[in-house]
Amino acid sequence: MTHAERDRVRTLFEALVDLPPGDIRERLDATSEPAAVKDEVLSLLEHHARAGSFLEAPASAAGLEHELAAGTRLDRYTVIREIGRGGMGRVYLAIDERLGRQVCLKAVREELADPAFRGRLEHEARTAAALSHPGICAVYALEEFGGRPYIVTEFIDGRTLRNEIDDAPRAAAALVYDTLRQLAAAVAAAHARGITHRDLKPDNVMRTAEGRLKVLDFGLARVEAVEGMAPGVRHTLPGVLVGTPGYMAPEQIEGGPIDARTDVFALGVLAYEFAAGVHPFAAATPLATAARVLGDERPSLGGARGDLPAGLVAVVDRCLARHPAQRFASAGAIAAALEEGEAGVSAAPRRPLVWWRVHQLALIAIYATGTAAAWRVHAWEASAAARWAFLLVGMLAAVNGVVRGHLLFTERAHPERLAGERGRSRTAALMFDLAIAVALAADASLISGGQPVVAALVIGLAAGLATAAILIEPATSSATIGVP
Amino acid sequence: MTTPESRPGADDLAPLVYAELRRLAGGYMRRERPGQTLQATALVHEAYLRLAGPGRPWTDRRHFVGIAARAMRQILVERARARGADKRWGALQRVSLRESLAGADMPEEGLPALDEALRRLEAFDPEQARIIELRFFAGLTVEEAAEALGISPATLKRRWSLARAWLYRELTAGSS
Repeated sequence: MTHAERDRVRTLFEALVDLPPGDIRERLDATSEPAAVKDEVLSLLEHHARAGSFLEAPASAAGLEHELAAGTRLDRYTVIREIGRGGMGRVYLAIDERLGRQVCLKAVREELADPAFRGRLEHEARTAAALSHPGICAVYALEEFGGRPYIVTEFIDGRTLRNEIDDAPRAAAALVYDTLRQLAAAVAAAHARGITHRDLKPDNVMRTAEGRLKVLDFGLARVEAVEGMAPGVRHTLPGVLVGTPGYMAPEQIEGGPIDARTDVFALGVLAYEFAAGVHPFAAATPLATAARVLGDERPSLGGARGDLPAGLVAVVDRCLARHPAQRFASAGAIAAALEEGEAGVSAAPRRPLVWWRVHQLALIAIYATGTAAAWRVHAWEASAAARWAFLLVGMLAAVNGVVRGHLLFTERAHPERLAGERGRSRTAALMFDLAIAVALAADASLISGGQPVVAALVIGLAAGLATAAILIEPATSSATIGVP
Repeated sequence: MTTPESRPGADDLAPLVYAELRRLAGGYMRRERPGQTLQATALVHEAYLRLAGPGRPWTDRRHFVGIAARAMRQILVERARARGADKRWGALQRVSLRESLAGADMPEEGLPALDEALRRLEAFDPEQARIIELRFFAGLTVEEAAEALGISPATLKRRWSLARAWLYRELTAGSS
């Protein structure tokens, strides 16, 4: 059939395909096309009528995976059930019958299993197996069954940080601190051996029932990443496709060199998300998120969580810096910074708290004196204004007195919670202190005619309280417990 | 003809799209809930979002989709060949072929044969082959595919019918 005839077939088919079957024959007979063209159109129309839903359902890419049924025996391993899907294929819970322990069996997708990929997989599995840290999911073996590679790892019974964020956004300050500390320590063990993770994210971290964090898939992100790059592309755009959007550092997105500081950035994003319940660079689309990561504007965890210790906020913020040089050099440096700032962040304060305690006790004394003075003024004046001033001073002084007592108690019994408690009560305590000072000043003006000396004393009390609330307390608190 | 591939420079980027789709085919599942079917169209969309970053030369989505659809075809057919689908297809009872093709989803065994038939179609009408790639391999709707090729949805629908009829005849030829 010539090219011109093909074109005629197409034109004719398109003209006839939507007509009712009865009309088709009639219209076809009416044309002056050669018999070959007519026959071809008829044949095609006939097959069109028979084709049903041929090709109507789009090709599914699901065929790219493979499945193992429960009970399948692979040498010494028996499959129990599928527990997830990773970048390389399905992940199964299995029993290592020889050692009688549960293991995680990761099937590697068949089309990934070319010899070059296997070589890299073996190399990375060996590297990951060399990492022995309680915070890193252990690699037990690299096996091959039926020509397909499997990675055997420690089975971790727990929940991912992604689950935790979904269920309980905005974790308590102590939990945020502990989570980042554990993660930094685990990743630091890898960084110390020159191994980077490159795909740290809440989905890749699990917490066991005992509260121990485990980082998954060490070294594997790199195998996948290298596999994903066509030769040549890798050369011109190194690293551009590595990682998960949202947890990729700016240099990762830009295809720049990747090192431990790339993991530091991801740890910062992870800690921020865990603390705030929202992603620090959240945007409508992955593309917009990437644009924010690359932008000059930097989020601060302090903005999302005002109650967190300043030291912890500063550590997370520094992880999120635009330029690698501004971040911590490695996860080990994060761990050290947390340790160093521990007094201000969480555990037992090391700096002397005596002035902070004196300040709290002095405030309680001022509340008592102020209340007594307001009572005295009320007795002398017996006016409505004096009565209201007394009631106001008395009530607020009682509340703030209890708050101060609570802080003193917390400092003694749960020093790690002090910063959090102070942050929580800070604004209300400041407002109440100022309100008491204003009420006392009003009282002083009521008696300034009859009792000038007492009035001067009360004014002094009010001024002292206001100064303490606005200037002195933020300074002593910052210096001793790390929050203003 | 104005297929997306004919634009200058587009083919240079095909390896990048191909690599990314292959990688996503696995990586995508990480975020999928178990039990959901992985659709080619979701992969293409995701690959676009990821590759259309700052400094990437994708002028528009249309440009991208054509390359991605072709890459999907390559990936899925390659995959089927690697699993020995050719042999199983050959062994299929020719009698049952008509029913199985017209009814259910395209079996994986048929992909290599479909690919060969597509090559024959391509030889005299490349646009029809593009339509099959967009609709079947990339899972685009009639409207999306029409947009990608710069033709009206009505025209696309008729040409889709023609390509389908032609391929159906090719694949069932010789069966009773």
